[in-house]
Amino acid sequence: MEYAQIIKYIAGEASEEEVRAIFQWIESSSDNKEEFVKLKKAYALTSKSADNAQHVWNDVMIRRIHRKENLRRLYTYTRYAAIIVLFFALGMVFQNQLRFGKSAETVYASNMSIDVPLGQMSDLTLPDGTTVQLNSGSHFAYTGNFAAGDRTVELQGEAFFEVAKDANHPFTVKTKSLDFKVYGTSFNIQAYEDEKEVNTTLVEGSLGVLSKTGKEFTRLVPGENVKYNDDSKELVVKNVNTDLYTSWQKGLITFRNEKLQDIAKKMERWYNVEIKIEDQELADELYFGTIMKNKPIDQILEVFRMTSSLQYRILPRPGEPTLIYWE
Amino acid sequence: MLTEPSALDEFLFLQFKSGNESAFEQLFKAHYNPIVGFCNQFISDHDKSASLAQEAFINLWMNRSKIQSPNGIKSFLYTFAKSSCLNFIRHQKVVSKYEDRHLQAMEGKLNSEVLDSFDFDALEFSEMEELIYRSISELPEKCRQVFMASRFEGKKNKEIADELQISVKSVEANITRALKTLSVKLGEYLPAVLVQMIMHYMS
Repeated sequence: MEYAQIIKYIAGEASEEEVRAIFQWIESSSDNKEEFVKLKKAYALTSKSADNAQHVWNDVMIRRIHRKENLRRLYTYTRYAAIIVLFFALGMVFQNQLRFGKSAETVYASNMSIDVPLGQMSDLTLPDGTTVQLNSGSHFAYTGNFAAGDRTVELQGEAFFEVAKDANHPFTVKTKSLDFKVYGTSFNIQAYEDEKEVNTTLVEGSLGVLSKTGKEFTRLVPGENVKYNDDSKELVVKNVNTDLYTSWQKGLITFRNEKLQDIAKKMERWYNVEIKIEDQELADELYFGTIMKNKPIDQILEVFRMTSSLQYRILPRPGEPTLIYWE
Repeated sequence: MLTEPSALDEFLFLQFKSGNESAFEQLFKAHYNPIVGFCNQFISDHDKSASLAQEAFINLWMNRSKIQSPNGIKSFLYTFAKSSCLNFIRHQKVVSKYEDRHLQAMEGKLNSEVLDSFDFDALEFSEMEELIYRSISELPEKCRQVFMASRFEGKKNKEIADELQISVKSVEANITRALKTLSVKLGEYLPAVLVQMIMHYMS
């Protein structure tokens, strides 16, 4: 067989009759076949189409690459999301068995006050059946008249109330700058002494917001949040996702674009540590994310390190709260 | 496929590895047509060949962290093209060029054998490429000119004949001669397994 004939076939220019003849030749001996395979290989390796690669790049490739990468990114995110969900699910399962520094007590004393240590939480059941969950660093008190029907309590700090219904005896919570009159309800109050704001969120029922002189400013409906600023004396009522304000009871904390310095203040309370941020820019950085408060602080710090620009250094100090630098 | 390795390749390779899209664009433009041409040799369908080649490049980009050397790029692309073509032939998606279906089946079998005989392992591949490159450069001047114009510039035999002021017959003869030389050199790279297989069929 002439080489020219074989190459004519390989180049796709042979007629069906010629192809038949070539195949017969190829199958007639192993040398022929080997010869053909070598020629075909040489031809294939030196082949080149006449496409305009630039056009293909512009019209097809750019789009395909980005679509593929987005898909891959989506897949990665989905995977991470699944891991995070699993993490929280496990956390929820365990928290029922391993409540971190939390104790349930029933309070019958007539005069009562409780201080929740830093880094701990506390559950109370009052004589009328009202339950109170106190967040760390809170002070809670009521007077001897409680059992006699004067349902007035004092709060510094943060608490979640589920107030027992009793139409004849109003339930009142006094904080440093606002009082709250309760009409059978559950709500969350944040009123720490060292923060300028009182922040209260109503989950269920109805809640009156009162000045220290007893004048009712407004009455909240479920889902509403009232924020009072000591400096500006401004009272702001808005609709919120109540979970964000009450999730601390479950040990789950969502920060919604909060400044790192505000988060640091909260963490100081939860973990009884001192956090120093020397870089003002970092202190003002906004953070969005959810953490499990019941986890050890080194895990939480790792989460912050991975999800924000902060780095940290831990300095244990004997007899004093551990010092943590955020930088 | 034939490009001389250079410092530029090395530079492009590093840029490509680090995820630089314009480096990838350069690589795409350098290797796209050879890969399409390669596929088209086995599946005789230009659109399908183009689509397989594009798939090869997308996979190259997604796997760039695994590519070890500039040569690994072509090795990856040709390996991908090879298995895509084999897959395509095996699933008999090739539209028959011939009225006689038996011829089509034989061609599919032959093409699979040729594809199977390729080893695009990075080391083997660079040796093979080097061999082809050297073989072409060692061809007699006229023969080389004709071959390059035909295979790499995609010129028709008639155009080459006019350009070089030789007969079309002479163009054909030179291409044949060049391919014959190349195929002899490539013979060294025919794996022993294939030879045995062929012997088995013959006996």
